[in-house]
Amino acid sequence: MSTMQTNFDMGSVVTKDLITLDLQATDKLGVIEELTDLLVAHGDVSDRQGFIDDVIKREGEGFTGLGQGVAIPHGKSKAVANTTIAIGLSKHPIPWETLDGEPITVIILFAVRDTDANTLHIKLLQKVAILLSDDEFIGALHEIQSKDELIALLRKEPEGE
Amino acid sequence: MKIVGVAACTSGIAHTYIAREKIMKGAQKLGYEIHMETQGTIGTEDELTPEQIAEADFVLLAIDIKIGGRDRFEGKKVVEVPTNTAIKAPTKLIETIVNQLGLS
Repeated sequence: MSTMQTNFDMGSVVTKDLITLDLQATDKLGVIEELTDLLVAHGDVSDRQGFIDDVIKREGEGFTGLGQGVAIPHGKSKAVANTTIAIGLSKHPIPWETLDGEPITVIILFAVRDTDANTLHIKLLQKVAILLSDDEFIGALHEIQSKDELIALLRKEPEGE
Repeated sequence: MKIVGVAACTSGIAHTYIAREKIMKGAQKLGYEIHMETQGTIGTEDELTPEQIAEADFVLLAIDIKIGGRDRFEGKKVVEVPTNTAIKAPTKLIETIVNQLGLS
């Protein structure tokens, strides 16, 4: 695929510390806060409230619930130190504004530096976005049992065009 | 059927690329030739060539923001939708456009 590079490693962006398979929060704000806490603990977000504010602001600009049980809130923010993603899976459905009107159980929170000179990291996020357009990938995402499985799934190459 | 398009969302991080992929898959499913440019946070990728634009039956803009180079499509049939419309039902979107433009 022309937009992709071959020499990148998803492992440099997604680590086990940025994944939770059992979100405790029961609403949208709670989920965003819980995933932001992972990013803060991992040193990727320097200003917790500043980042949450930017994510909520983006939520106001249009649905981030893609449908099929997945939402991709995101913040391009001065509060982000390293461009990365945090992933949360929930055992209970969480209400969210979605394209199919259904609640969600998979949340991928994109944290992007306000001025990111590291094109590679943006490329990795782009790859995640491309994977999310694949119904098979979404199906597999809902079957994830372990963090290793999830990282392996994200390392999968998107289907060619 | 030949289609060209541009995808661009507000933050240029996720929806732009999901919309592009969904539209590409939808068009290919229908057996149409398609070229989709993205205008995201890292700039323009898969930039449309003048030839691709000239040959296209219509232009599909899946955009939430003002895009660059819109004047390239002057004189073409241009359909504009939000990225989320393209993400939700890409195949149906393309079918509807083709019917409404009387291209089928």
